Amino acid sequence: MSQRAPAFPKTSARRPSAVWKVLTSTDHKSIGLTYMGVAAVFLVLGGLEALVMRLQLAVPGNRLLAGETYDRFLTMHGTTMIFFVLLPLLLGFTNYLLPLQIGARDMAFPRMNAFSLWLLVGGGLLLYLSPLTGAPSQGWFSYAPLSETPFTPQRGVDLWSAALIVGGYGTTLTAVNVLVTGARLRMRGMLYKRLPMFAWMSWINGFIILFALPCLTAVLLMLEVDRLLGAGLFTRGDPVLWQHYFWLFGHPEIYLLILPAWGLISEIIPVFSRKPIFGYEFVAWSTVAIAFLSFAVYAHHMFAVGLGWPVELAFGTTSMLIAIPTGIKVFNWLATMWKGSVRYTLPMLYAAAFIVQFTFGGVSGVTFAVVPIDWQLTDTYYVVAHFHYVLFGGSLFAVLAGLHYLYPKFTGRFLDERLGRWGFWLNVIGFNGVFLVQHLLGLMGMPRRVYTYPDLPGWGALNLFSTVSGFVLGVGLLLLLVNLIRSRTHGRLAGRDPWNGWTLEWLTDSPPQEGNFSQLPPLHSRRPLWDLKHPDDMDHVRPRRHDKNGHIREEERGHQ
Amino acid sequence: MQSDRASRTHLGMLAFLASDAVIFLLMLVSNIYLRRSEAHGGQSLLEPGRMLVFSVLLWGSSGVLLLAERQRGRGDRVGAGTLYLVTALLGAVFALAQGLEWRSLAAQGGTISSSLFFSTFYTTTGLHGLHVLLGLPVLLALALLSWTGQIGRRAPGVAAAVLYWHFVDAVWLVLYLVFYVWRGP
Repeated sequence: MSQRAPAFPKTSARRPSAVWKVLTSTDHKSIGLTYMGVAAVFLVLGGLEALVMRLQLAVPGNRLLAGETYDRFLTMHGTTMIFFVLLPLLLGFTNYLLPLQIGARDMAFPRMNAFSLWLLVGGGLLLYLSPLTGAPSQGWFSYAPLSETPFTPQRGVDLWSAALIVGGYGTTLTAVNVLVTGARLRMRGMLYKRLPMFAWMSWINGFIILFALPCLTAVLLMLEVDRLLGAGLFTRGDPVLWQHYFWLFGHPEIYLLILPAWGLISEIIPVFSRKPIFGYEFVAWSTVAIAFLSFAVYAHHMFAVGLGWPVELAFGTTSMLIAIPTGIKVFNWLATMWKGSVRYTLPMLYAAAFIVQFTFGGVSGVTFAVVPIDWQLTDTYYVVAHFHYVLFGGSLFAVLAGLHYLYPKFTGRFLDERLGRWGFWLNVIGFNGVFLVQHLLGLMGMPRRVYTYPDLPGWGALNLFSTVSGFVLGVGLLLLLVNLIRSRTHGRLAGRDPWNGWTLEWLTDSPPQEGNFSQLPPLHSRRPLWDLKHPDDMDHVRPRRHDKNGHIREEERGHQ
Repeated sequence: MQSDRASRTHLGMLAFLASDAVIFLLMLVSNIYLRRSEAHGGQSLLEPGRMLVFSVLLWGSSGVLLLAERQRGRGDRVGAGTLYLVTALLGAVFALAQGLEWRSLAAQGGTISSSLFFSTFYTTTGLHGLHVLLGLPVLLALALLSWTGQIGRRAPGVAAAVLYWHFVDAVWLVLYLVFYVWRGP
């Protein structure tokens, strides 16, 4: 590539401020970190909303958030967490890590990348401006006709729709970027079968985003045609159409909120078990299977609608099928740890908690595939417990694992170990305390989406337990936040490759320089850094902590 | 390097259009699905013959665009620029015709709230019209850049813009068949 002389030579003595740099950057690393920062702000907002809701539910007959006020908190909490916390967190990791892992200098379209970020931020701002015109109270699922003008007349719903459409276009453009980056910018020798697991899963995730988000855009456009122009597609037409389209987006959405998280876990577990991932091909191809099936299971959200027995059987079956590729992943992670030299550092602790909690959430998910059980449990707290186990206990814990894993790369410093462990245990205890008991409440028949409940035996005690645990969780996350800020300046220095990793991102400085790599090593296996460190033992089939004679390898001794 | 960037941009546009196509698909399905519940949705108000004339102009614009691309490949900057302009003009005529059709339909009582057929008709053709309108400035920009000699033989953005326009025309073919020709389920 020829270097063009700058058209306007820099003459100003004033350097741009750090804030201005972040706002105008097109570097994928800066954009990735900004995504995470934005997500952190929304996590605080969404978390506070959740805590206020838990306060309301602490005792039966409470009137802290009576009636529609509760619905407003419910709507904001759900929308925030799904669209403006988990999504930007995962997009942040993808942005940061994907080019580094495939040996690229940046994403395929750096300027569009920045545009996507600011579209998402704009969406978030629209969402939090919506209360000014009457807070939306229709829930994040926005079921028509309840979301139509006669039932929810406030204009906030329109801003809510606009927020999701704007943010959704940001995400769609990111998916385009991810797909082209993965398809075109891989370094020489980085075949698809050698992609690091995170890169592989983020790339597949691009396809899900590409086909799931337009379903949301379409259905929101139709809702707004109804609300603003009086068309009546879902009132005089068919309200079930809303549910079909919404869940055609909504179910794949769940998978697009967890695929990159699985990718992070698939990076962390091998490194801290000192073994390559077990069954690479199975982990990779099960991702493709999940991408297809994620669309084929959507109607399991609608078993109570009355779709007819054949349809319900079909979707019940596909929903059970999707447990197979998901289970494959879980077993492969376990098999990777099996007989490995597991180091229980903070990232690994979070990864282990992820496996336990995600498996729990996955299994309770399978119970919904049994149609009669779904009829019994739908719209109870059992559902709430299930999806929080998957999205919080699964996805968010995986993100936290990834955050502890990559923090040294982001900043050049480790997170504080003691503070981190306190945060970890408070998070695990708090999280399970909040949601484990909600399974029981659901089985006892406590309905979801209602602001209060009668004083039935056990309900008050379990709800109080859930609320108290919620505050424990809040303290845990607060400690994490303190750790993130404090360790940036006070943390132990990490160096390039603090965990003795195998993928290309650990080859770069911490934090990596602009353009990422000064030079790239020849690539002929899935673990280029292993090859660099072991020129005598390249492409070793089962590289692990011990050598062929059973002795711990020299270079492994220094690492915890 | 140039051709690599071109192929990248092309692939990116392809991915985006795949995503865009899903929106049109769902809108069409809603039309087909909701039409079942209406005996007379107002489709009889449409004039397939009259609209066919303007549709042919729109589809023809894709042909003109192919010619423009050929001229660009030959290095004929002025010729290519003029053909880009003709493409844009044909698109503009179509958009205008659609606007006039909407006005006449509304005058006859076919409004967005009068029937489910028209709800989906306006939503879908409106979205398509928006695509046409967004394409016009892009085509005009191509014409200007071509005249002033600022696009080389393989400028990456051009292929993507051309792909977009062909997509918009192809979508109209489906919309025309479903809304104007097909009598419903």
